Amino acid sequence: MAARKKSLAHSTWTPFWFLAPAVIALLGIGIYPTIFALITSLRRYNITRTRDGFPFVGLDNYVAVVNDGTFSAALLRTAGFFMTVMPIELVLGLLIALALNKPGWPVMRTIARVSLVVPLATTYAVVGLLGRLIFNRDFGVANAFLGWAGIAPLDWLGSPSGAFAAIATMDIWQWTPFCALIFLSGLSMVPPEIEEAARLETSRFFTVLRYVQLPYLLPGLTAMLILRSADILKLFDMVFTMTRGGPGTATELISIYIQRVGFRVFDMGTASAQAIILLVFTIILSRLYIKLLYREVEA
Amino acid sequence: MKKVLFATVAAVALAGGAMVAAPARADDWSLEKAAVPFKGQQLNVIFLDRPGYRAIEKLLPDFEKRTGIKVNYEVVPYENTREKEVLNFNSQGELTIALVDLVWIGEFAENGWIQPISKFTSDPAITDPKLNLPGFFPLLLNAFGSWGGITYGLPFDNYSGLLFYNKCQLKDAGFDKPPATWDELKNVYAPKLTDKGKNHYGYALQSLRGETQSADSFMRMLWPFGGSLLDKNFKSNLASAQSQAGLKFRQELLPYMPPGIVSYDHAEAVNALAQGQVSMITEWSAFYGTLADPATSKITTCLAVAPEPKGPAGRLPALGGFSLAVASQAPEAAQKAAWLFIQWATSEDIARAYVEAGGVSGRSAIYQQPDIRAKYSFVDPMVASWQQGVPEFRPRFPAWPAISEVVAEWGSKMELGQVSTTEGAKEISTRMEAILDKEGYYSGKKQLLQ
Repeated sequence: MAARKKSLAHSTWTPFWFLAPAVIALLGIGIYPTIFALITSLRRYNITRTRDGFPFVGLDNYVAVVNDGTFSAALLRTAGFFMTVMPIELVLGLLIALALNKPGWPVMRTIARVSLVVPLATTYAVVGLLGRLIFNRDFGVANAFLGWAGIAPLDWLGSPSGAFAAIATMDIWQWTPFCALIFLSGLSMVPPEIEEAARLETSRFFTVLRYVQLPYLLPGLTAMLILRSADILKLFDMVFTMTRGGPGTATELISIYIQRVGFRVFDMGTASAQAIILLVFTIILSRLYIKLLYREVEA
Repeated sequence: MKKVLFATVAAVALAGGAMVAAPARADDWSLEKAAVPFKGQQLNVIFLDRPGYRAIEKLLPDFEKRTGIKVNYEVVPYENTREKEVLNFNSQGELTIALVDLVWIGEFAENGWIQPISKFTSDPAITDPKLNLPGFFPLLLNAFGSWGGITYGLPFDNYSGLLFYNKCQLKDAGFDKPPATWDELKNVYAPKLTDKGKNHYGYALQSLRGETQSADSFMRMLWPFGGSLLDKNFKSNLASAQSQAGLKFRQELLPYMPPGIVSYDHAEAVNALAQGQVSMITEWSAFYGTLADPATSKITTCLAVAPEPKGPAGRLPALGGFSLAVASQAPEAAQKAAWLFIQWATSEDIARAYVEAGGVSGRSAIYQQPDIRAKYSFVDPMVASWQQGVPEFRPRFPAWPAISEVVAEWGSKMELGQVSTTEGAKEISTRMEAILDKEGYYSGKKQLLQ
């Protein structure tokens, strides 16, 4: 009985058993594909040319990617997209969170919080299809709004700048609620007594925001930047269904280009090298965000 | 042209061979009897969400009842079909039948993913004595189903580019017939039919980036002007005077097209005509059903169809379509069952039912029926188009998907005015020749087949 009791009690192996399922899942769905991609990136690996085999080519694929002007242009375009949408999503998200954090109107606040989940729960491809309708030149809602304001209809999806603005708008629509919810959770962690004390000291909104609320928002902001950076680097479905990367290359984000190389040309070697380079970018960016922004809040 | 002739002769010769190989007991053979050993077999195939597939879906219960063979189909968007099939073939998946776009036939055949039909036509037990390969339009059998003189698939979902037009609008503008030439379309018809103030345009050419841009827009303007993508040595021919004339012509048509034409896919172009916003489009024959259906079109009584206009090099309309072929990865019994299904789906026996259900058969006999010709106004122009099309309208070799991406990118940039036609042609040529060099076409490693 004593032996049985001991086997169920805490031992040095206990943490291992708790962690094992997550570690096994991570190995299966995260680590194994990454290692496979790493190995593939060092081979000439085209699955529509299997008769040629998959010979080891060293760093040839990486050299080809670095020298590929289309890849670097797509990467810059993706960075531009991130710089366009992220600040807007953060500002709008913060404004919504601050509004929802105010006391009063409990029912309306609950409804607003629930409705924020709707864009997040919408499939990317469906967001793209919605965007295709919203920004249709002849019967889209976007031009209807412009018409009410006396502005001539714009050729959203047929012009490079219009198409870029259209995909940015849809991304902002989908992801601002995410920012709002994360900020709201941060605001809800601000101890009420500290906030009340601060408000007794000053009536200036920005002072309270900067010195009392912001420290509680930084961990969420860091998480948002990491998640959205990774997400924008792999943003595919919405853009593909909306513009297929066109017109020209106006909306060809890096994921669209990698998909073309990987699943149209089936050059998996080059596509894997591109994906590994993106992974390195994401890790570097994440470390930077954590180093520059993340601060533990001391209670 | 010699190659086309050779391939056509080879296809017909093969057809003749198949006829010889077919059993002499035509009266004894029936689908039901042939299918007895395969009762309970499950066939897996990918279909598209297009009229030809919806038509065969309606007829499938009859096949399943007669044979006891179950056909499982998955409806997939065109843009994802090749990806799904290639991954399936590489992983030895469950597909027993390959749906083969004419531009995939080289890739599928060279990789051994599909079986030559000679494997089955040599077995009289599973080959319909009425298979009658010469009954298919030779152009279709050659372009959709054959590679290197060997037939792999039978034409199933067949398209020709046609000129769909609104005859009421043309009449109002003083025209009692459609334009016969591209020059006439641009210089005579389009200016009179375009009224930008009323958001009305003479013509629309679907040009969305992707296969729509490369195949429907870019390539469509090369051939009628005497141009082509490649010369006989597989070097780029885009800098030639004829190719440039075609590409410049496309630019000159832009003022008569709706703004943002580079965002128009098939649906948008067809809808623009169906709603009366444009007067003429050049689209696949398969869209006749959409334009003739009052539920989706406002112009059913004004709809008219003609062959695509002629260019200086003659009438060389867009050619597209799909064949069905037996997948090599399927077990032997499933392959034989699949062959029975493919013969049935493309047979003369069901051609009438298939056409009446909305499909476009590749069998020539059905289009000689007076009632069919009278009922479907697209038939005569389509049959006329299939007399003279070019099988390599888009090259059918394995390198096409990679080249198509390049053409789509730079073709769009040309239309947007971001590069001139000569600059764009130069960019495409450089990239395209690099792809072809890597494939081994210039080192003599690969035959110059397209």
